[in-house]
Amino acid sequence: MKYTESHEWIEVQGKTGTVGVTDYAQKELGDIVYVELPVAGKKLRAGDEVAVLESTKAAADIYSPVSGTIIEINPALSASSGLINESPQDKGWIFKIELDQPEELNQLMDEDQYLKSVH
Amino acid sequence: MKTAFYERHLSLGAKIVEFSGWEMPVSYKGVIQEHRAVREDAGLFDVSHMGRVVIQGAEAALFLDYLSTNEIAGKKNGTATYTVWCTSEGGSVDDLIIYKVNPEEFHVVLNAGNREKDLEHLNRMSQGWEVAIEPRFQDGIIALQGPRALEILSSYIPEAKKLKPMTFQPVMYRGKDLIISGTGYTGSGGCEVFGPSLPLTELWDALIAEGVEPIGLGARDTLRLEMGYALYGHELSEQIAPTESVSAWTVKMEKKEFLGKDALKLLPHPRKAYGIVLKDAGIAREGYPVYKSGVPIGRVTSGTMSPSLKKAIALVLVEGNLEEGENLEVDIRGRRAAAEVVALPFWRQKR
Repeated sequence: MKYTESHEWIEVQGKTGTVGVTDYAQKELGDIVYVELPVAGKKLRAGDEVAVLESTKAAADIYSPVSGTIIEINPALSASSGLINESPQDKGWIFKIELDQPEELNQLMDEDQYLKSVH
Repeated sequence: MKTAFYERHLSLGAKIVEFSGWEMPVSYKGVIQEHRAVREDAGLFDVSHMGRVVIQGAEAALFLDYLSTNEIAGKKNGTATYTVWCTSEGGSVDDLIIYKVNPEEFHVVLNAGNREKDLEHLNRMSQGWEVAIEPRFQDGIIALQGPRALEILSSYIPEAKKLKPMTFQPVMYRGKDLIISGTGYTGSGGCEVFGPSLPLTELWDALIAEGVEPIGLGARDTLRLEMGYALYGHELSEQIAPTESVSAWTVKMEKKEFLGKDALKLLPHPRKAYGIVLKDAGIAREGYPVYKSGVPIGRVTSGTMSPSLKKAIALVLVEGNLEEGENLEVDIRGRRAAAEVVALPFWRQKR
Protein backbone atom coordinates (compact mmCIF):
# COMPACT_ATOMS: atom_id res chain seq x y z
CA MET A 1 0.00 0.00 0.00
CA LYS A 2 1.23 3.51 -0.90
CA TYR A 3 0.15 6.83 0.58
CA THR A 4 -0.27 10.48 -0.44
CA GLU A 5 0.30 13.65 1.57
CA SER A 6 -3.42 14.33 1.15
CA HIS A 7 -4.22 11.08 3.05
CA GLU A 8 -5.28 8.76 0.24
CA TRP A 9 -3.98 5.20 0.02
CA ILE A 10 -3.57 3.10 -3.13
CA GLU A 11 -3.11 -0.66 -3.35
CA VAL A 12 -1.97 -1.88 -6.78
CA GLN A 13 -2.44 -5.32 -8.29
CA GLY A 14 -1.21 -5.61 -11.86
CA LYS A 15 -2.35 -2.41 -13.58
CA THR A 16 -5.31 -1.78 -11.28
CA GLY A 17 -5.12 0.42 -8.21
CA THR A 18 -7.74 0.50 -5.42
CA VAL A 19 -7.97 3.92 -3.70
CA GLY A 20 -9.40 5.05 -0.39
CA VAL A 21 -8.63 7.37 2.51
CA THR A 22 -6.44 6.52 5.48
CA ASP A 23 -7.56 5.68 8.97
CA TYR A 24 -5.95 8.92 10.12
CA ALA A 25 -8.05 10.88 7.59
CA GLN A 26 -11.35 9.28 8.59
CA LYS A 27 -10.62 10.01 12.25
CA GLU A 28 -9.88 13.63 11.43
CA LEU A 29 -13.06 13.98 9.36
CA GLY A 30 -15.36 12.27 11.85
CA ASP A 31 -18.64 10.66 10.82
CA ILE A 32 -18.87 10.56 7.03
CA VAL A 33 -22.48 11.06 6.01
CA TYR A 34 -22.30 11.38 2.23
CA VAL A 35 -19.81 10.67 -0.54
CA GLU A 36 -19.93 12.44 -3.88
CA LEU A 37 -18.61 9.65 -6.09
CA PRO A 38 -16.98 9.88 -9.50
CA VAL A 39 -18.25 7.94 -12.52
CA ALA A 40 -16.51 4.96 -14.09
CA GLY A 41 -14.77 5.81 -17.36
CA LYS A 42 -13.50 9.17 -16.13
CA LYS A 43 -9.87 9.92 -16.99
CA LEU A 44 -7.74 11.49 -14.27
CA ARG A 45 -4.30 12.96 -13.83
CA ALA A 46 -2.45 12.41 -10.56
CA GLY A 47 -3.64 15.07 -8.09
CA ASP A 48 -7.04 15.63 -9.76
CA GLU A 49 -10.07 16.03 -7.52
CA VAL A 50 -12.04 12.85 -7.79
CA ALA A 51 -14.58 12.63 -4.95
CA VAL A 52 -15.88 14.59 -2.00
CA LEU A 53 -16.36 13.19 1.50
CA GLU A 54 -18.98 15.02 3.51
CA SER A 55 -18.71 14.65 7.27
CA THR A 56 -21.17 16.03 9.82
CA LYS A 57 -18.94 19.08 9.95
CA ALA A 58 -17.36 19.75 6.55
CA ALA A 59 -16.63 18.63 3.01
CA ALA A 60 -13.21 17.20 2.12
CA ASP A 61 -11.85 16.68 -1.39
CA ILE A 62 -10.28 13.39 -2.39
CA TYR A 63 -7.48 13.48 -4.97
CA SER A 64 -6.36 10.73 -7.27
CA PRO A 65 -2.90 9.45 -6.25
CA VAL A 66 -2.12 8.44 -9.84
CA SER A 67 -3.10 9.09 -13.47
CA GLY A 68 -5.44 6.71 -15.24
CA THR A 69 -9.04 5.76 -15.93
CA ILE A 70 -11.63 4.99 -13.26
CA ILE A 71 -12.93 1.47 -13.82
CA GLU A 72 -15.09 0.86 -10.76
CA ILE A 73 -16.78 2.74 -7.91
CA ASN A 74 -17.44 1.10 -4.53
CA PRO A 75 -21.18 0.40 -4.86
CA ALA A 76 -21.65 0.05 -1.09
CA LEU A 77 -20.79 3.69 -0.35
CA SER A 78 -23.91 5.31 -1.79
CA ALA A 79 -26.06 3.51 0.78
CA SER A 80 -23.57 3.40 3.67
CA SER A 81 -20.88 6.05 3.57
CA GLY A 82 -20.09 5.13 7.19
CA LEU A 83 -18.07 2.19 5.78
CA ILE A 84 -15.26 4.69 5.32
CA ASN A 85 -15.22 5.24 9.10
CA GLU A 86 -15.65 1.57 9.95
CA SER A 87 -13.16 0.12 7.47
CA PRO A 88 -11.26 2.94 5.76
CA GLN A 89 -8.46 0.79 4.34
CA ASP A 90 -10.53 -2.20 3.28
CA LYS A 91 -14.33 -2.25 2.82
CA GLY A 92 -14.47 1.54 2.63
CA TRP A 93 -12.41 1.78 -0.58
CA ILE A 94 -13.68 4.49 -2.91
CA PHE A 95 -12.70 3.69 -6.52
CA LYS A 96 -10.52 1.49 -8.72
CA ILE A 97 -8.32 3.01 -11.36
CA GLU A 98 -6.39 1.57 -14.29
CA LEU A 99 -2.94 3.11 -14.06
CA ASP A 100 -1.51 4.99 -17.05
CA GLN A 101 1.91 5.57 -15.50
CA PRO A 102 2.75 2.97 -12.83
CA GLU A 103 6.06 4.74 -12.23
CA GLU A 104 4.06 7.50 -10.46
CA LEU A 105 3.82 5.11 -7.52
CA ASN A 106 7.47 5.81 -6.79
CA GLN A 107 6.54 9.39 -5.86
CA LEU A 108 4.21 8.17 -3.08
CA MET A 109 5.05 7.37 0.52
CA ASP A 110 5.30 3.91 2.01
CA GLU A 111 3.53 3.13 5.27
CA ASP A 112 6.45 4.08 7.54
CA GLN A 113 6.91 7.43 5.81
CA TYR A 114 3.18 8.15 5.92
CA LEU A 115 2.76 7.27 9.59
CA LYS A 116 5.74 9.47 10.44
CA SER A 117 4.23 12.33 8.45
CA VAL A 118 1.01 12.35 10.46
CA HIS A 119 2.55 11.93 13.92
CA MET B 1 -7.90 29.51 26.22
CA LYS B 2 -8.98 26.39 28.06
CA THR B 3 -11.97 25.76 30.30
CA ALA B 4 -11.66 24.08 33.70
CA PHE B 5 -12.81 20.86 31.97
CA TYR B 6 -9.99 20.70 29.40
CA GLU B 7 -8.04 17.85 31.01
CA ARG B 8 -11.28 15.90 31.36
CA HIS B 9 -12.00 16.28 27.65
CA LEU B 10 -8.55 14.90 26.85
CA SER B 11 -8.91 11.93 29.15
CA LEU B 12 -12.32 11.16 27.61
CA GLY B 13 -10.60 10.92 24.22
CA ALA B 14 -12.00 14.15 22.77
CA LYS B 15 -10.81 15.54 19.48
CA ILE B 16 -10.00 19.17 20.30
CA VAL B 17 -10.55 22.13 17.97
CA GLU B 18 -10.08 25.85 18.34
CA PHE B 19 -13.42 27.65 18.65
CA SER B 20 -13.54 31.42 19.18
CA GLY B 21 -10.13 31.24 20.83
CA TRP B 22 -11.03 28.26 23.04
CA GLU B 23 -9.62 24.74 22.89
CA MET B 24 -12.90 22.82 22.87
CA PRO B 25 -13.97 19.21 22.24
CA VAL B 26 -15.54 18.81 18.79
CA SER B 27 -16.42 15.16 19.47
CA TYR B 28 -15.59 12.27 21.78
CA LYS B 29 -17.00 9.07 20.24
CA GLY B 30 -18.50 10.56 17.07
CA VAL B 31 -20.98 13.28 16.20
CA ILE B 32 -23.85 10.96 15.21
CA GLN B 33 -23.57 8.79 18.33
CA GLU B 34 -23.43 11.89 20.55
CA HIS B 35 -26.37 13.46 18.71
CA ARG B 36 -28.45 10.31 19.32
CA ALA B 37 -27.51 10.21 23.00
CA VAL B 38 -29.03 13.69 23.48
CA ARG B 39 -32.15 12.95 21.43
CA GLU B 40 -32.85 9.61 23.12
CA ASP B 41 -31.33 9.82 26.59
CA ALA B 42 -29.02 12.55 27.87
CA GLY B 43 -25.72 14.20 27.07
CA LEU B 44 -23.30 16.44 28.96
CA PHE B 45 -21.73 19.57 27.45
CA ASP B 46 -18.99 21.86 28.68
CA VAL B 47 -20.13 25.31 27.60
CA SER B 48 -17.88 27.27 29.95
CA HIS B 49 -16.56 29.22 26.95
CA MET B 50 -19.81 31.18 27.01
CA GLY B 51 -19.61 34.25 29.20
CA ARG B 52 -21.85 35.16 32.11
CA VAL B 53 -22.27 38.77 33.17
CA VAL B 54 -24.23 40.06 36.16
CA ILE B 55 -26.07 43.35 35.76
CA GLN B 56 -27.39 45.02 38.89
CA GLY B 57 -28.88 48.35 39.84
CA ALA B 58 -32.09 50.35 40.17
CA GLU B 59 -32.38 50.70 36.37
CA ALA B 60 -31.17 47.20 35.42
CA ALA B 61 -34.58 46.12 34.05
CA LEU B 62 -35.09 49.25 31.95
CA PHE B 63 -31.50 49.21 30.73
CA LEU B 64 -31.66 45.59 29.50
CA ASP B 65 -35.12 46.20 28.05
CA TYR B 66 -33.66 49.09 26.05
CA LEU B 67 -30.80 46.90 24.72
CA SER B 68 -33.03 43.94 23.84
CA THR B 69 -35.31 43.28 20.87
CA ASN B 70 -37.42 41.03 23.11
CA GLU B 71 -39.34 42.18 26.20
CA ILE B 72 -37.31 41.94 29.39
CA ALA B 73 -38.61 44.40 31.99
CA GLY B 74 -42.06 42.84 32.41
CA LYS B 75 -40.84 39.25 32.82
CA LYS B 76 -41.38 37.35 36.07
CA ASN B 77 -38.54 36.83 38.52
CA GLY B 78 -36.85 33.47 37.91
CA THR B 79 -37.50 33.38 34.16
CA ALA B 80 -35.05 33.24 31.27
CA THR B 81 -35.65 35.09 28.00
CA TYR B 82 -33.92 34.60 24.65
CA THR B 83 -33.24 37.85 22.85
CA VAL B 84 -31.04 39.58 20.28
CA TRP B 85 -29.13 42.80 20.90
CA CYS B 86 -29.04 45.23 17.99
CA THR B 87 -26.67 47.96 16.94
CA SER B 88 -28.19 51.39 16.26
CA GLU B 89 -27.88 50.46 12.54
CA GLY B 90 -30.01 47.33 13.02
CA GLY B 91 -27.21 44.75 12.81
CA SER B 92 -27.04 42.02 15.44
CA VAL B 93 -24.52 42.45 18.27
CA ASP B 94 -25.25 38.99 19.72
CA ASP B 95 -28.03 36.61 20.63
CA LEU B 96 -28.22 35.65 24.27
CA ILE B 97 -30.35 34.60 27.21
CA ILE B 98 -31.24 37.05 29.95
CA TYR B 99 -32.04 35.67 33.42
CA LYS B 100 -34.17 37.85 35.66
CA VAL B 101 -33.36 37.29 39.33
CA ASN B 102 -35.37 40.35 40.38
CA PRO B 103 -36.03 43.80 38.85
CA GLU B 104 -32.60 44.96 40.06
CA GLU B 105 -30.52 41.89 39.24
CA PHE B 106 -30.09 40.06 35.93
CA HIS B 107 -27.60 37.57 34.51
CA VAL B 108 -26.87 37.40 30.81
CA VAL B 109 -25.13 34.51 29.03
CA LEU B 110 -23.19 35.50 25.93
CA ASN B 111 -21.68 33.66 22.98
CA ALA B 112 -18.00 32.70 23.41
CA GLY B 113 -16.86 34.68 20.39
CA ASN B 114 -18.69 37.83 21.49
CA ARG B 115 -17.83 38.00 25.20
CA GLU B 116 -15.43 40.91 25.02
CA LYS B 117 -17.41 42.76 22.35
CA ASP B 118 -20.64 42.40 24.36
CA LEU B 119 -18.97 43.52 27.57
CA GLU B 120 -17.72 46.62 25.76
CA HIS B 121 -21.21 47.18 24.34
CA LEU B 122 -22.72 46.88 27.85
CA ASN B 123 -20.15 49.25 29.35
CA ARG B 124 -20.54 51.81 26.59
CA MET B 125 -24.34 51.71 26.54
CA SER B 126 -24.62 51.84 30.34
CA GLN B 127 -23.33 55.45 30.47
CA GLY B 128 -26.05 57.45 32.17
CA TRP B 129 -27.92 54.40 33.48
CA GLU B 130 -27.94 53.40 37.14
CA VAL B 131 -26.45 49.93 36.60
CA ALA B 132 -23.30 48.03 37.55
CA ILE B 133 -21.83 45.47 35.17
CA GLU B 134 -19.77 42.60 36.52
CA PRO B 135 -18.37 39.83 34.28
CA ARG B 136 -18.25 36.33 35.80
CA PHE B 137 -16.09 34.86 33.06
CA GLN B 138 -14.13 32.73 35.52
CA ASP B 139 -17.25 30.65 36.33
CA GLY B 140 -18.10 27.43 34.55
CA ILE B 141 -21.24 26.37 32.69
CA ILE B 142 -22.30 22.81 31.90
CA ALA B 143 -25.40 21.70 30.02
CA LEU B 144 -27.17 18.39 30.62
CA GLN B 145 -29.57 17.94 27.72
CA GLY B 146 -32.00 15.25 26.64
CA PRO B 147 -35.30 13.65 27.65
CA ARG B 148 -33.71 12.03 30.75
CA ALA B 149 -31.50 14.99 31.72
CA LEU B 150 -33.61 16.40 34.58
CA GLU B 151 -34.32 12.97 36.04
CA ILE B 152 -30.58 12.18 36.05
CA LEU B 153 -29.63 15.53 37.59
CA SER B 154 -32.29 15.28 40.28
CA SER B 155 -30.31 12.58 42.14
CA TYR B 156 -27.62 15.24 42.73
CA ILE B 157 -29.77 18.35 42.77
CA PRO B 158 -33.35 17.43 43.81
CA GLU B 159 -34.77 20.77 42.57
CA ALA B 160 -33.96 19.71 38.99
CA LYS B 161 -36.91 17.31 38.99
CA LYS B 162 -39.45 20.13 38.87
CA LEU B 163 -37.44 22.59 36.82
CA LYS B 164 -39.63 24.15 34.11
CA PRO B 165 -38.40 25.26 30.68
CA MET B 166 -37.12 28.85 30.59
CA THR B 167 -37.05 29.18 34.39
CA PHE B 168 -34.08 29.05 36.76
CA GLN B 169 -33.33 28.86 40.46
CA PRO B 170 -30.43 28.95 42.89
CA VAL B 171 -29.49 25.58 44.38
CA MET B 172 -26.82 24.16 46.69
CA TYR B 173 -24.45 21.40 45.61
CA ARG B 174 -21.64 20.21 47.90
CA GLY B 175 -22.05 23.34 49.99
CA LYS B 176 -21.67 25.74 47.06
CA ASP B 177 -24.20 28.00 45.34
CA LEU B 178 -25.10 27.04 41.80
CA ILE B 179 -27.86 28.08 39.42
CA ILE B 180 -29.86 25.55 37.43
CA SER B 181 -31.88 26.75 34.47
CA GLY B 182 -34.28 25.04 32.10
CA THR B 183 -32.44 26.29 29.04
CA GLY B 184 -30.26 24.80 26.33
CA TYR B 185 -29.48 24.67 22.64
CA THR B 186 -30.74 21.24 21.60
CA GLY B 187 -34.57 21.18 21.67
CA SER B 188 -34.51 17.95 23.68
CA GLY B 189 -35.12 19.48 27.10
CA GLY B 190 -32.78 19.49 30.06
CA CYS B 191 -30.90 22.22 31.81
CA GLU B 192 -27.79 24.29 32.17
CA VAL B 193 -25.85 24.63 35.43
CA PHE B 194 -23.89 27.77 36.28
CA GLY B 195 -21.35 28.30 39.03
CA PRO B 196 -17.73 28.11 40.14
CA SER B 197 -15.54 25.44 38.50
CA LEU B 198 -15.55 23.69 41.85
CA PRO B 199 -17.99 21.98 42.39
CA LEU B 200 -19.06 21.94 38.70
CA THR B 201 -16.14 19.67 37.76
CA GLU B 202 -17.21 17.29 40.56
CA LEU B 203 -20.75 17.24 39.21
CA TRP B 204 -19.33 16.57 35.73
CA ASP B 205 -17.24 13.65 37.08
CA ALA B 206 -20.24 12.16 38.88
CA LEU B 207 -22.42 12.33 35.76
CA ILE B 208 -19.69 10.83 33.55
CA ALA B 209 -19.10 8.05 36.10
CA GLU B 210 -22.81 7.30 35.91
CA GLY B 211 -22.45 6.74 32.17
CA VAL B 212 -23.78 10.04 30.77
CA GLU B 213 -22.24 10.67 27.33
CA PRO B 214 -20.07 13.78 26.93
CA ILE B 215 -21.09 15.77 23.84
CA GLY B 216 -18.82 17.91 21.66
CA LEU B 217 -19.37 21.00 19.55
CA GLY B 218 -20.03 18.88 16.44
CA ALA B 219 -23.23 17.39 17.83
CA ARG B 220 -24.09 20.70 19.50
CA ASP B 221 -24.23 22.14 15.97
CA THR B 222 -26.31 19.33 14.40
CA LEU B 223 -28.70 19.44 17.38
CA ARG B 224 -29.26 23.19 17.19
CA LEU B 225 -29.57 23.11 13.42
CA GLU B 226 -32.33 20.48 13.53
CA MET B 227 -34.22 22.95 15.72
CA GLY B 228 -33.55 25.84 13.36
CA TYR B 229 -31.79 27.80 16.11
CA ALA B 230 -29.48 30.64 15.08
CA LEU B 231 -25.72 30.41 15.54
CA TYR B 232 -24.15 33.85 15.78
CA GLY B 233 -21.75 34.45 12.90
CA HIS B 234 -23.93 32.34 10.62
CA GLU B 235 -27.65 33.21 10.94
CA LEU B 236 -26.96 36.47 12.80
CA SER B 237 -24.17 39.02 12.47
CA GLU B 238 -23.56 42.74 12.36
CA GLN B 239 -24.62 42.41 8.68
CA ILE B 240 -27.75 40.34 9.39
CA ALA B 241 -30.59 42.04 11.27
CA PRO B 242 -32.54 39.95 13.79
CA THR B 243 -35.69 40.55 11.72
CA GLU B 244 -33.95 38.84 8.78
CA SER B 245 -33.10 35.74 10.82
CA VAL B 246 -34.70 32.65 12.34
CA SER B 247 -34.70 34.70 15.57
CA ALA B 248 -37.09 37.29 14.07
CA TRP B 249 -39.76 36.14 16.54
CA THR B 250 -37.79 37.74 19.39
CA VAL B 251 -38.19 41.21 17.90
CA LYS B 252 -41.11 42.96 19.55
CA MET B 253 -41.71 45.97 17.32
CA GLU B 254 -44.64 46.96 19.57
CA LYS B 255 -42.12 47.82 22.31
CA LYS B 256 -42.00 51.55 22.78
CA GLU B 257 -38.28 51.74 22.29
CA PHE B 258 -35.19 49.58 21.94
CA LEU B 259 -31.74 50.11 20.48
CA GLY B 260 -31.93 49.53 16.73
CA LYS B 261 -35.72 49.70 16.47
CA ASP B 262 -35.76 52.71 14.14
CA ALA B 263 -33.14 51.14 11.87
CA LEU B 264 -35.09 47.85 11.73
CA LYS B 265 -38.23 49.74 10.66
CA LEU B 266 -36.31 51.37 7.80
CA LEU B 267 -34.19 48.39 6.70
CA PRO B 268 -33.85 49.00 2.94
CA HIS B 269 -33.96 45.47 1.49
CA PRO B 270 -34.88 43.09 4.26
CA ARG B 271 -34.11 39.43 3.58
CA LYS B 272 -35.77 36.43 5.20
CA ALA B 273 -34.57 33.17 6.72
CA TYR B 274 -36.07 29.79 5.80
CA GLY B 275 -35.40 26.12 6.36
CA ILE B 276 -34.84 23.85 3.37
CA VAL B 277 -34.46 20.11 2.88
CA LEU B 278 -32.44 18.77 -0.04
CA LYS B 279 -34.28 16.43 -2.37
CA ASP B 280 -31.17 15.54 -4.37
CA ALA B 281 -28.08 13.92 -2.89
CA GLY B 282 -25.44 16.08 -1.27
CA ILE B 283 -25.13 18.54 1.59
CA ALA B 284 -25.73 22.28 1.33
CA ARG B 285 -22.93 24.02 3.23
CA GLU B 286 -22.61 27.59 4.46
CA GLY B 287 -22.11 30.08 1.62
CA TYR B 288 -23.55 27.92 -1.16
CA PRO B 289 -25.75 30.00 -3.52
CA VAL B 290 -29.52 29.43 -3.53
CA TYR B 291 -31.65 29.79 -6.67
CA LYS B 292 -35.36 29.98 -7.40
CA SER B 293 -36.37 29.19 -10.99
CA GLY B 294 -32.76 29.71 -12.01
CA VAL B 295 -32.47 33.17 -10.42
CA PRO B 296 -30.06 33.67 -7.51
CA ILE B 297 -32.00 34.70 -4.38
CA GLY B 298 -29.56 34.19 -1.52
CA ARG B 299 -27.26 31.74 0.22
CA VAL B 300 -27.02 28.96 2.78
CA THR B 301 -26.10 30.18 6.29
CA SER B 302 -25.73 26.70 7.90
CA GLY B 303 -26.23 23.20 6.56
CA THR B 304 -25.62 19.63 7.60
CA MET B 305 -26.85 16.07 7.30
CA SER B 306 -29.53 15.77 9.98
CA PRO B 307 -28.76 12.68 12.06
CA SER B 308 -32.41 12.46 13.23
CA LEU B 309 -34.04 12.90 9.81
CA LYS B 310 -31.19 11.38 7.75
CA LYS B 311 -31.73 14.19 5.26
CA ALA B 312 -29.59 17.16 4.31
CA ILE B 313 -31.06 20.26 5.98
CA ALA B 314 -30.03 23.90 5.75
CA LEU B 315 -30.97 27.41 6.82
CA VAL B 316 -30.96 29.96 4.00
CA LEU B 317 -31.03 33.77 3.87
CA VAL B 318 -32.90 34.97 0.78
CA GLU B 319 -34.55 37.96 -0.83
CA GLY B 320 -38.33 37.83 -1.20
CA ASN B 321 -40.94 35.62 0.43
CA LEU B 322 -41.07 31.86 0.07
CA GLU B 323 -43.89 29.40 0.73
CA GLU B 324 -43.61 26.03 2.42
CA GLY B 325 -43.24 23.34 -0.24
CA GLU B 326 -41.73 25.72 -2.76
CA ASN B 327 -38.91 24.31 -4.90
CA LEU B 328 -35.43 25.83 -4.85
CA GLU B 329 -31.99 24.82 -6.06
CA VAL B 330 -28.69 24.93 -4.20
CA ASP B 331 -25.41 25.19 -6.08
CA ILE B 332 -23.27 22.42 -4.60
CA ARG B 333 -19.80 22.97 -6.05
CA GLY B 334 -21.17 23.65 -9.53
CA ARG B 335 -24.05 21.16 -9.44
CA ARG B 336 -27.65 22.37 -8.95
CA ALA B 337 -29.33 20.22 -6.29
CA ALA B 338 -33.12 20.36 -5.82
CA ALA B 339 -34.41 21.53 -2.44
CA GLU B 340 -37.75 22.29 -0.83
CA VAL B 341 -38.79 24.97 1.67
CA VAL B 342 -40.00 23.39 4.94
CA ALA B 343 -41.40 24.64 8.24
CA LEU B 344 -39.08 25.07 11.22
CA PRO B 345 -38.10 23.35 13.38
CA PHE B 346 -36.90 20.55 11.11
CA TRP B 347 -37.40 18.09 13.97
CA ARG B 348 -39.44 17.94 17.18
CA GLN B 349 -38.83 15.94 20.39
CA LYS B 350 -41.68 13.52 21.17
CA ARG B 351 -42.95 14.31 24.66
